[in-house]
Amino acid sequence: MKRFTLFIALAVIAFGLSSLKAEAKLTSGMLEGAAKFQSMGPLAFGPDGILFVADTKAAAIIALSTGDTKPAAAGKLLKVDAINQKIAALLGTAADQILIEDMVINPISHNAYLAVSRGRGADAVPVLVRVKTDGAPEVVSLENVKFSRADLPDAPADKQVGQGNRQNNPRRESITDIGYLNGRLFIAGLANEEFSSTLRSIAFPFKTVDNGTQVEIYHGAHGQFETRAPVRTFTTFKIGKEDHLLAAYTCTPLVQFPVSDLKPGAKIMGKTIAELGNRNRPLDMIVYQKDGKTYLLMANSSRGVMKITTDSIDKVEAIKAPVPDGGKKGLTYETIEGWTGVDQLDRFDAGHVAVLRRGEGGSLNLEALVLP
Amino acid sequence: MSLLFLLCLFVPLPFCVTSSFSAQTTQPQISIRWVPQEGGKMAVELAGLNAVALRPMASWTPQQFQRVLSVYAGATDAGLPPMLGKYRIEANALRFEPQFALEPGVTYRAVFQPGQVPGNSAAGNSVTIATFTPRPRDLTPSTLVAQIYPSADELPENLLKFYIHFSAPMRRGNIYDHIHLLDAMGKAIELPFLEIDEELWNQDFTRLTLFIDPGRIKRGVKPLEEIGPSLEAGKTYRLVIDREWRDSNGAPLKTSFEKSFRVTPPDRQAPDPAQWNIATPAANSREALTISFPEPMEHALAQRMIVVATESGEPIQGTVSLENQERQWKFVPATAWRRGRHNLIIQTTIEDLAGNNIGKLFDVDVFNSVQRQLTSQTVKLSFDIR
Repeated sequence: MKRFTLFIALAVIAFGLSSLKAEAKLTSGMLEGAAKFQSMGPLAFGPDGILFVADTKAAAIIALSTGDTKPAAAGKLLKVDAINQKIAALLGTAADQILIEDMVINPISHNAYLAVSRGRGADAVPVLVRVKTDGAPEVVSLENVKFSRADLPDAPADKQVGQGNRQNNPRRESITDIGYLNGRLFIAGLANEEFSSTLRSIAFPFKTVDNGTQVEIYHGAHGQFETRAPVRTFTTFKIGKEDHLLAAYTCTPLVQFPVSDLKPGAKIMGKTIAELGNRNRPLDMIVYQKDGKTYLLMANSSRGVMKITTDSIDKVEAIKAPVPDGGKKGLTYETIEGWTGVDQLDRFDAGHVAVLRRGEGGSLNLEALVLP
Repeated sequence: MSLLFLLCLFVPLPFCVTSSFSAQTTQPQISIRWVPQEGGKMAVELAGLNAVALRPMASWTPQQFQRVLSVYAGATDAGLPPMLGKYRIEANALRFEPQFALEPGVTYRAVFQPGQVPGNSAAGNSVTIATFTPRPRDLTPSTLVAQIYPSADELPENLLKFYIHFSAPMRRGNIYDHIHLLDAMGKAIELPFLEIDEELWNQDFTRLTLFIDPGRIKRGVKPLEEIGPSLEAGKTYRLVIDREWRDSNGAPLKTSFEKSFRVTPPDRQAPDPAQWNIATPAANSREALTISFPEPMEHALAQRMIVVATESGEPIQGTVSLENQERQWKFVPATAWRRGRHNLIIQTTIEDLAGNNIGKLFDVDVFNSVQRQLTSQTVKLSFDIR
């Protein structure tokens, strides 16, 4: 995933005590039948095996009750070579005809879920694939499932235009990441026309009238200029007692802001807590704990996987001035040796992270690695 | 037997490459073949099964069927799983219907294990394979880059985006490999664009939005300090789309495409509708209403963020076009103009080429502006039709 873990884990523990009741409550308003998708993009798990799937093409989020709530057997890891070729074979096509859009791990069962596009054009068919620890991929049938749907509001701009090419509006919003925390789903988005970073928050279970709230996020970058860059990936993190979102922007500043600031119409100025380098794109991010300390693990396009210490996250001062000679400022990080080609990552269990990484000959390998 | 099957047996038709057909000894009538279904789909049929074979199959799981008949994508056995589909028993035949449409050009293997048919164990381990290859897609290059916006040949140093329009739908994946920004010496500018995995396409994959990495535009941010701006005033550049980019059929572009442009100093002025020049048409005509901007405006937003309305705010239907390198906005009404006062309702989020909005620059000092919000989402310009 791009995404979540610490709070998913906490949520699992919290909900575990009264899971049956909670599950019933979370799924009670759901429809039963065929869940229809135009596309599948970012994924995120909520409690009780509920999987949120972003349908970017339809500008909607669909919450699926996977029923995949049997706890994983201890010690079972995941290692599937050439998962893209195996999925392509299952879908009856060639490996270069599929795209793996996102990968998440069900925090309860440790099964991997992948959003896959069969085809690479406008007629691509979205498919949800599950990979169990035995390594065999299977397509998750969406013909008869419990689900609920939240349609994202279109930009107000669209509604005011009553002329021109109204039947063929080329404007679309992409969803770059989603994540669940404490009954709310956070959705980072980017439009293909106006350049702006938006983060929506929608209450879950979805209410029919709740179109969510929309905020613009700003961060004071070097030189104190306002930036509307899109959030590439985000995760949640507790600083003190307060929930924060940590967002990685496309040019890799790491920015934090309190979840409580995300109010309708709010204009938020985040705090830049680290600059992680240039010529680089953040791809995915998780939080984990090891030896009593909390770390961020971030996959990047050109710097491999970074392990970022969070020891001083509550004390670190916002970066407000240029960092000389490209040196580190804010949180410190190390690059994990040998972890090359990682496109996706998600926490597998307390000691492992599941990664989707590029191997030889265009193959993508899915494996659980020991957390660094 | 269908006519198509008979044809397949004797004539090597391109759409019907059925091969390795054979029947087995203990149930001599069992045959395997690819057969067309409704909607142009194909299925595999195992015909000639007797009652001894069919009876237990009524309660089989897909895994049990797969032991008898599995269908694979790929000409050779690469140890990959069989493809998904439904098994159905019809009369004395077992049918496999693939879940997804077959991919043009891919060879499919239907593998029949006669020894797994109930009551047919004497058939041993001999395997029968029937292959089928849907006609490959036509890879004759035909798609072109139709246009790149902004269309001007002078662009500001803080240009925010390009739109690349194609003459036909394109395919997703690794698109940034095919987009090159070259300096006057032909040297590639390193990572000038915001490479977004989701790829910012329109609905039918004919228009791509290409943002210039804001880190390479905005003042004071680290990428700009370390590796400099993507574009520098006074220099010339070429945006090159190479022909290896594949369209939705998988065919390369007919030709590569180049857009040459010279870079002018950064535009740090917000668009101001008060500076726009409105040329009004005559009443009772369907002449165009024309707005002339002092600078080119962003193509996509200018088309949909300016609404012509009556004085009471009722939108007027019509067609918008942009001319003169996006410096001129034209509106032809669907019906003749009525005499009287009209309004142009302009969303303040309309952009110039640098992403500056009405009343707000793209790149502003955060501590002066972050708390300030425009109270209005639109501005209004009035004009009279006489």
